[in-house]
Amino acid sequence: MKFIVSSSALLKQLSGINGVITSSPVVPILENFLFEVSEGKLTVTASDLQTSMITEIDVESKESGSIAVPARILLDTLKNLPEQPVTFSIDEDTYAVEISSDNGKYKLSGENATDFPKVPTVSDGYSFNVSTDIFSKAVNNTIFATSNDELRPAMTGVYMKLTDTNATFVATDGHRLVRYRRVDVAEDIDHPIIIPRKALNLLKATLPSDNTNVNVEYNATNAFFKFNNIQMICRLIDERFPDYENVIPMDNDNEMSIDKGEFLSSLRRISIYANKTTHQVRLKITGSELQISAEDLDFSNEANERLSCEHDGDDLEIGFNAKFLIEMLNNVDSKEILMKFSAPNRAGLIFPKNGDENEDILMLVMPVMLSNYN
Amino acid sequence: MEKYSTVSRSIVHMDLDSFFVSVECLRNPALKGKPLIIGGSSRRGVVASCSYEARRFGVRSAMPIALARQLCPHLINISGDMEAYSKYSRLITDIIKDDVPLFEKSSIDEFYIDATGMDRFFGTVKWAGELRQKIMKESGLPISMGLSINKLVSKVATGEAKPNGQRHIPYGMEKAFLAPLPIQKIPMIGDKTARFLTDMGIFNVRTLREMPVEILAAALGSNGVALWKKANGEDNSPVIPFREQKSISTETTFQKDTIDVQFLKNVLTAMVEKLGFKIREKQKLTACITVKLRYSNFDTVSKQCRIAYTSSDHTLIKKAQELFDQLYNRRMLIRLIGVRFSELVHGNYQISLFDDTEETIRLYEAMDKIKHKHGSLKLMRASSLDLNMRLKDSIPSFNGNE
Repeated sequence: MKFIVSSSALLKQLSGINGVITSSPVVPILENFLFEVSEGKLTVTASDLQTSMITEIDVESKESGSIAVPARILLDTLKNLPEQPVTFSIDEDTYAVEISSDNGKYKLSGENATDFPKVPTVSDGYSFNVSTDIFSKAVNNTIFATSNDELRPAMTGVYMKLTDTNATFVATDGHRLVRYRRVDVAEDIDHPIIIPRKALNLLKATLPSDNTNVNVEYNATNAFFKFNNIQMICRLIDERFPDYENVIPMDNDNEMSIDKGEFLSSLRRISIYANKTTHQVRLKITGSELQISAEDLDFSNEANERLSCEHDGDDLEIGFNAKFLIEMLNNVDSKEILMKFSAPNRAGLIFPKNGDENEDILMLVMPVMLSNYN
Repeated sequence: MEKYSTVSRSIVHMDLDSFFVSVECLRNPALKGKPLIIGGSSRRGVVASCSYEARRFGVRSAMPIALARQLCPHLINISGDMEAYSKYSRLITDIIKDDVPLFEKSSIDEFYIDATGMDRFFGTVKWAGELRQKIMKESGLPISMGLSINKLVSKVATGEAKPNGQRHIPYGMEKAFLAPLPIQKIPMIGDKTARFLTDMGIFNVRTLREMPVEILAAALGSNGVALWKKANGEDNSPVIPFREQKSISTETTFQKDTIDVQFLKNVLTAMVEKLGFKIREKQKLTACITVKLRYSNFDTVSKQCRIAYTSSDHTLIKKAQELFDQLYNRRMLIRLIGVRFSELVHGNYQISLFDDTEETIRLYEAMDKIKHKHGSLKLMRASSLDLNMRLKDSIPSFNGNE
């Protein structure tokens, strides 16, 4: 089998899907790209068994056939070649691959394409369309709150549910939670899924910045994303997502509004002085003043700042992990935020005050127990 | 080729004389001059500290109490009050802190002081002697001290000065001072090493020093080289100022070896509860928990496990039980059980969204409040109730205190 393709065009497509390939995969063949040529089209697949990405590119070829090509060597070769047509010649008996360019010839040994695991397809699925712009926003707003705890797989992904009125994305690590809801995406599906973090990170990296359409199709086990000439299939997390609706407090009526920028930069400064492991900071709201403080007893470091805020409720002193607050505020696209509290040992809520009217964002963060024995 | 600066240091070592006994005598002067030991009163107990009067009968610390009684039938045995000892220890630390910029508290009753440079103003011997008098006057407890160019020689000098004395080894006299002493006087030489060296014909430090270092290295490995350096009075270790506590632990030896797994687990729970309250009170979190078991044949096994930073009893108890289940796999009697929390950091418990309910958080808060106000033994899990007497009796390990 033989085909000719532009080196830079191929590199561009391969770079888009290369992120799937892990450095030490479960089966060695997954260190390869699967090349399948037929009718002047080259289809390339990369996979880690959980997630697979597929891309297509036009090539000059009269034959059809398939081969698995070592990803690392091929990418390094293409990266260092000047733009030009390159010819791939494949010996289908020995799986030898020869790449010829104007500069010379490179030989590498491929593997039998039939050893490459079969990529699943979605059948009997639900499907909806969403713009890349909105989908990226939903992912960016939630993915940071997912958990790394492999013992609780349900929390290592983002929960997604579409109903006839809205689309809801939820992520939590057990200490904080983000619920991102949109009313301009709706489909009467009502069948929630949990998409693994790795797949979403890959999507984040490959979703084009120009506003195109993403087609999402899924059933109980797999989800399928399609945009431009890239497709991604991922196995879903087959676990029950924690009952998040029930832990969102409804009666937090101690309200504080504050300028997001000021609050965020103050937190950044104060957290420098907090303990490096716990990042613990103390918020003290008295009247219309917010005092933020932290201390690190090991180094005798301490800091405190005062900010003015609008406050409606009793005075309150509450402790938080500053990292959580900072990550959340970093993702808020609003000049002002509204925080709602009830008690020092109960969840605090953060809402953007002025944002996109199609968006409904709720962020929840659990406090640390400030024990005062007085 | 000298790598280290040759400026000689002045290191003071101070050690309270039979600390626990001295405290008891201070609290009850009637005990003065009597053969007295501190140690658990149970059959299994060992002597934690003994008065000089008791030593005259051959009683030594770490000796089983039953044996001590045989040696000295009219021995007075007090079970000991760690809280009081800690209090006095803190008192002395405070006195030293007032006068000394650089000191190390190496145990509940021992201090190293770096007095380098003091001679320019006061004369080190005079200054250290005055500090020692001040401690004795203000605390009422006898303390001995040694002064030399390093920690090792000073510690040995203190040992020679005891009881209630002081000893100065002038610069250059270290080797001459150590030479005639029996090898057991060198810290690090325990019973086993001493017997090993005696079998080689080495009885005093001079002989040890004159041994070719290669022979010691061949016989004892890297320890041999360290030993030889010590015999030569060499010790470059610095005085390390008081450090934040990095771990907390407790252990208990049973009156009678047991194989009752439920009982062992209850003891474990009670211990974790006790330590858990302690770290919460100090506003700390732990990231590593260790469980230790000693079988009746003295085989000691331990297993540790990293966890996310926490101070919550139910997480810690669950982990401790898991470790115990993994560890206890021989059907053999258990003699001792212990728990340690390490990698402590300052901080408070991060409440979890799904694992903690509001009720449990409030319950723990209320429990800690009561324990703080009325003592940690006033409120506990029902499973710990009947164990409490035994745990209270056992001598707490010093690791956890101070």
